[in-house]
Amino acid sequence: MKRFVYLTVILLAGVFTLSAQTNEVDRLKSDLIGQTMGGRHECWKFQSVDQIKELTVKDKTGDDQKQIYTVALELEAMPACGRYAAEARIEYEKADAGWKIKQVGLLSLKKINPPPGATEK
Amino acid sequence: MKTDQIFVALGVGLLLCGCEPQKQQIQLGDPLPGLTPEQLAQFKAGKRAFQRAFTPQDGLGPLFNEVSCQECHEDPVLGGVGDEIEIHATKFSPSGLCDPLFHEGGPVFQTQATPLLQAHGITNEPVPPDAAGIGRRTPSPLFGFGLVDAIPDAAILANQNTNAAYGIHGHANRTIDGRVGRFGHKANTATLFDFNVGAYHDEMGITSAREPVENTLNGTPVPPDTVLGPQPNISLEEISNATVFIQFLAPPPSQIFTNYQDRTLAKRGQNLFTSLQCAGCHVPEMKTGPSAVPALNYKLVALYSDLLVHDLGTNLADICLGEAHPSEFRTAPLMGLRFHVDGLLHDASATNVQEAIERHGGEAQKSADEFKALNDDNKKALLKFLDSI
Repeated sequence: MKRFVYLTVILLAGVFTLSAQTNEVDRLKSDLIGQTMGGRHECWKFQSVDQIKELTVKDKTGDDQKQIYTVALELEAMPACGRYAAEARIEYEKADAGWKIKQVGLLSLKKINPPPGATEK
Repeated sequence: MKTDQIFVALGVGLLLCGCEPQKQQIQLGDPLPGLTPEQLAQFKAGKRAFQRAFTPQDGLGPLFNEVSCQECHEDPVLGGVGDEIEIHATKFSPSGLCDPLFHEGGPVFQTQATPLLQAHGITNEPVPPDAAGIGRRTPSPLFGFGLVDAIPDAAILANQNTNAAYGIHGHANRTIDGRVGRFGHKANTATLFDFNVGAYHDEMGITSAREPVENTLNGTPVPPDTVLGPQPNISLEEISNATVFIQFLAPPPSQIFTNYQDRTLAKRGQNLFTSLQCAGCHVPEMKTGPSAVPALNYKLVALYSDLLVHDLGTNLADICLGEAHPSEFRTAPLMGLRFHVDGLLHDASATNVQEAIERHGGEAQKSADEFKALNDDNKKALLKFLDSI
């Protein structure tokens, strides 16, 4: 019986952690809409959640006034424009109604090769 | 009222009209007409940001092309062109795929290094061996670019349909995030501010919150002991100030010929410009959309470009960028062409307007051939027209 309780607690903790991470990723994706990182050739304006194919939190630091996320992203606006792997620094600041993004910095960008045989145009 | 009284009244009216002080003609480098005093103050503040020369201690480099915006945009006045040539390179595969070589430091490869970086034996960023195309790029004149920034995407896309009527096939280029591009020789940047954030970074090695990482050496970070200045080097507000200066720069004034012969010649040239179908790509006018700035709100811009990319033939081809293939370039805006003093075409390889026209290939081959076939008088007329816009 004890073993069962332990297993249940571990399982619930795992589910809770996973759920929290998923919520965090979804929130980050949603908050990014309307933000722009980089410039000129290497510029990405987040226009819809659909463009963010993957988002992984690599690091998170901060205090009660500021939170900084380092995230790995996989981005694609439309197949003709290509798919890109990016790393970004997202800085949140405390606002009246919670947290809001202050700025997004592009740390690295790379075009990901499409599968063999694919053409862009 | 008797007939003679009507004539007197009309005469007085005409005299009054004639006596009205004439509006002062805008000079190259002036701000847009109709700016508020507050906007004029922003224009002046922006001008100072545009002129700021960076030092390594401010954050210049370690890899860079020039030390200020002004350096590349100074002839014949601030906001114009420069004689600098920079190096762009990308990789284009026969299947139609374009790799901008971001991971190898591309597509802009810096030609200078700060003394600290030189001490490491690095004087520039070399073009990586797997780059398939190298492009020489010249700075564009910036006059009227605020108006270009305010043209709706829909108007650019609509030009694709107008093109079809001329039997040509220009298309809008797209940024990597799918937006309609308009700035740059390959039209691969969507907004003036986006362009400037990147220009500070790529041209001067000046980092900002949006691009906080220094230019790499073909993808390898520069030695940490070569990085100086505050991090990031400047605020987005400073870039915004410089952007406002460009945004409020008036388009170049057209030349009004006082001599009847010149006027007639230019008018004939204008007709030839249309009949040779130059106007198919070099669309004489576009209109801005709604803007919070009245001076940019629903204004006509005598741009002489459709802001689309067109195939100019294999002789001019160099790099791909976005959806633009190596031979495709944005239709160069011709407004203020007579002030473009440091070489024409995207790589400054044409020494004069006639040479630039004659070297058009691809979709423009027919127009270029017809221009070459004109007699000297008609060539002169067309060039006179181009000298007036």
